[in-house]
Amino acid sequence: MSARALTFRAAALILLVAFITAPQLFAFVFKPLTVNDAPAIYNHGSLLALTLSHLRTVFLATLASTVLAVGLGIFVTRPSGSEFLPLSRSLVNIGQTFPPVAVLAIAVPLVGFGEKPTFIALFLYGLLPIFENTLAGLSEVPPQALEAAKGMGMNARQRLLQVELPLALPVILAGIRLSVIIGLGTATIGSTVAAKGLGEVIIAGLQSNNVAFVLQGGLVVALLAVLIHDGMGIAERAVAKRLGRPVDEVA
Amino acid sequence: MSSLRPHLSLDRLGSVIAVLIGVALFASPFVVYRANRIVAGEGRMLTAALPPAGALGIILTGIGVALCAALLRNPLPRLAAAILGLATVVPIVGWSATFVTPLGNTFARVSPGLGFWLLALAFALLAADALTRLRLGPWVRLAAIAVAAGAIALLLLSGAWNDLSLLKEYANRADSFWQEARQHVWLAFGSMAASCLVGLPLGILAYRVRRLRAAILQILNIVQTVPSIALFGILIAPLGYLATHVPLAAALGIRGIGAAPAFIALFLYSLLPVVANTITGLNQVPAAVTDAARGMGLSPRQRLWQVELPLALPVILAGIRIALVQNIGLATVAALIGGGGFGTFVFQGIGQTAIDLVLLGTLPTVALSFATAIVFDAIIDLTRRGPT
Amino acid sequence: MIEIEHLTKRYGETIVVDDVSLRVEEGTIAVVVGTSGAGKSTLLRMINRLVEPSSGRVLIDGRDTLSIPEDELRHRIGYVIQAYGLFPHRTVSQNIATVPRLLGWDRKKIAARVDELLDLFQLDPGEFAGKFPHELSGGQQQRVGVARALAAKPAVLLMDEPFGALDPVIRSKAQDDLLAIQRRLGATIVLVTHDMNEAFHLGDRIAVMDQARLLQYAAPAELLTHPAEPFVEQLTGTAERPFRLLSLTRVKEALEPGDAEGEALVLSTTLHDALARLIALGKDALPVIDASGKAVGRITVERILAHGRLPA
Repeated sequence: MSARALTFRAAALILLVAFITAPQLFAFVFKPLTVNDAPAIYNHGSLLALTLSHLRTVFLATLASTVLAVGLGIFVTRPSGSEFLPLSRSLVNIGQTFPPVAVLAIAVPLVGFGEKPTFIALFLYGLLPIFENTLAGLSEVPPQALEAAKGMGMNARQRLLQVELPLALPVILAGIRLSVIIGLGTATIGSTVAAKGLGEVIIAGLQSNNVAFVLQGGLVVALLAVLIHDGMGIAERAVAKRLGRPVDEVA
Repeated sequence: MSSLRPHLSLDRLGSVIAVLIGVALFASPFVVYRANRIVAGEGRMLTAALPPAGALGIILTGIGVALCAALLRNPLPRLAAAILGLATVVPIVGWSATFVTPLGNTFARVSPGLGFWLLALAFALLAADALTRLRLGPWVRLAAIAVAAGAIALLLLSGAWNDLSLLKEYANRADSFWQEARQHVWLAFGSMAASCLVGLPLGILAYRVRRLRAAILQILNIVQTVPSIALFGILIAPLGYLATHVPLAAALGIRGIGAAPAFIALFLYSLLPVVANTITGLNQVPAAVTDAARGMGLSPRQRLWQVELPLALPVILAGIRIALVQNIGLATVAALIGGGGFGTFVFQGIGQTAIDLVLLGTLPTVALSFATAIVFDAIIDLTRRGPT
Repeated sequence: MIEIEHLTKRYGETIVVDDVSLRVEEGTIAVVVGTSGAGKSTLLRMINRLVEPSSGRVLIDGRDTLSIPEDELRHRIGYVIQAYGLFPHRTVSQNIATVPRLLGWDRKKIAARVDELLDLFQLDPGEFAGKFPHELSGGQQQRVGVARALAAKPAVLLMDEPFGALDPVIRSKAQDDLLAIQRRLGATIVLVTHDMNEAFHLGDRIAVMDQARLLQYAAPAELLTHPAEPFVEQLTGTAERPFRLLSLTRVKEALEPGDAEGEALVLSTTLHDALARLIALGKDALPVIDASGKAVGRITVERILAHGRLPA
């Protein structure tokens, strides 16, 4: 990574942390956007608390999706689950035509307002990219490597843990990253169903016609997403490199 | 591995589907009855939801399909069973609504219950599995989606579902429904068209000029990462400024809140798939082919139009498909900033905890994006097959 | 020693390997040749039970392979495939250490063994131990593949087209290296190939297969002088058989007393190479010396031609 790219990332991170911990310092930037002396900085709760609860929801939901999706991906690629493989591929394709908002919206009348529907929507929708990538990663393992592993007397478990999963790992990580990014966005919309998160700032701005709120909420969420996406991308490349893979130019 | 199995063994997937059908028939309410739109609903099991003949019909159909799923391996009869199941249970739920609603009561609401949804899910899974295994050609798939659309239209026009809560919500909003539908299509497809106009030349440029490639892709990648509502929010401020300070912009209908930021955001989102796939598509044109074209004296422009773009077309179309499906989904969020579309019903429904209103917004969105995906996949297959 | 007894593999109605019996002596190389689809690989894969036989059995050092658990059996049998199947996510030394690690050897013993093998295959441990497979040339990958198969000192080595992916120049060098290593370790090898030259170059005995059946299993010279079936004759190359025979025979066996003018040949030269030299120099005879340089007799065109003559 070039020094310029690194300083750019560091600056973005510092800016983000500074803004969510001490937003008043930046009031002068947002003041011109307000009318009728409305507050320039979101004042119904601490940005830091909102950010943390936003991240917590996304983290927990993605963790749950990862466990289930990787487990399912392993299951349908074993001989005992192979009857489910063609259908599960189609389901992933069909599932992704479903907008994440729809999952959120349908969950609300079923489980009520708050964190729950958001968590369910994030969890369900997050399954798709991880499952898809687990399938892709596991089926891209070179057949010769598997043949050799079998020929050297590795049992099914050893083949899975020592050959298949390590080789599929970078692809699975890419799926998790996608899932996290979609989750960050869906969790933002989750604020419309009263989940604690950064969407609150934007929604509050829209309701009170305060463009300053809308903009700062948008910026914080955007910066957070870009930095997380970037950070996970770096982690993926590090893993791929450690696994001896040549790394693509643009992921 | 491919040793022949005896024909009457249990199919694992089929067994799961059979269990689903069993739960749906005997352990879940077929419809939910509410005295009015707001109160909590009460489930009605099959026997209470339909006259005996109807209930028996559904139970027999369900068991028949379950047996087919568990015992037959040939995808064709399985598909036939699944379609028969859907064709039975979907119209009958409308009949059930008529049956359950007390005569002359206009406040009562009946919606499909867990049992109906599970049955529909089980049949749809069976159909999806059979269709996957049949590997139908693109024309057959196009015909199938047309038939499915026709069947749904027929069902809705026939009035068989008119007593269902979903259609009562629709009846109350028939005018605004079609207006929001047009708005949704305009947002999703209009922004896509704009993105093709910009994205294709940009992709070709990035393909030709290597130095630009990484920079363009990186910027578009970042845009793609920003969650939709955040991007809307970021666009509202400058557009609002534009509207208040540039009369022409205001005259064009550009305002901070409304369709403009949504349209621009969707346009920006769809750029990445279009540009990235244009580059990938052009990149994977075999070097031997472009060499031969050069050897025959084709100019760069001729090479582009006659050789490179036609060969890259399937990949470019795949990019457009991704972007369109994504746009149709994201356009739902536009309603939050007053941009209209089906999302209007979704967010109204969330506000009123009215699931039928949520579904009135969600189902058309899903149907639209599903149909788009299938049609595009078929077209992509056709262009792949074409001139090779 | 490997004893294959009436080994058969059926897939439904199709017979892939049909009642094959053969015996590979300790410390020798048996090469299985045949056209593609002849059942060679299936035969090989039944030895380490990657394919379960439909009937018949395989004994290794007198023990029925069916009596040994699959994985344990494979730990004791080295296995090399055409594309090598190196693990792309593991370094060269980790790749080589695969079976020792499965067997639970201690670290030191594994490290020592890996270094020993790298040396044996002329791969400098300092340079290669930490490299990943994609950083190696084809020939280096091939050597790592064989080293990995030999890591746990297996009694038997199975090789399925091990040189198939190499270009001709590197291939013959790799074959010579394998021969040298085999002689040194005294390994028992079963090697599958469709390349007749490779079979004659490497095989102590050659098994010719066609359409699932074993047509002939014999020493190379026997195959040339007494082909069991027309197919064997055709496969060994009707026109080339005399030349192949000459390359299997050394000057030593055609030596006659006497002297001749010109550059001397060594006893271990093949008759094929000796004839080539005679033709090139336009001579009828050349002197022969032994390894120490002492003149031991002469070799003539006439005698060489006699050796290339096939029985009617």
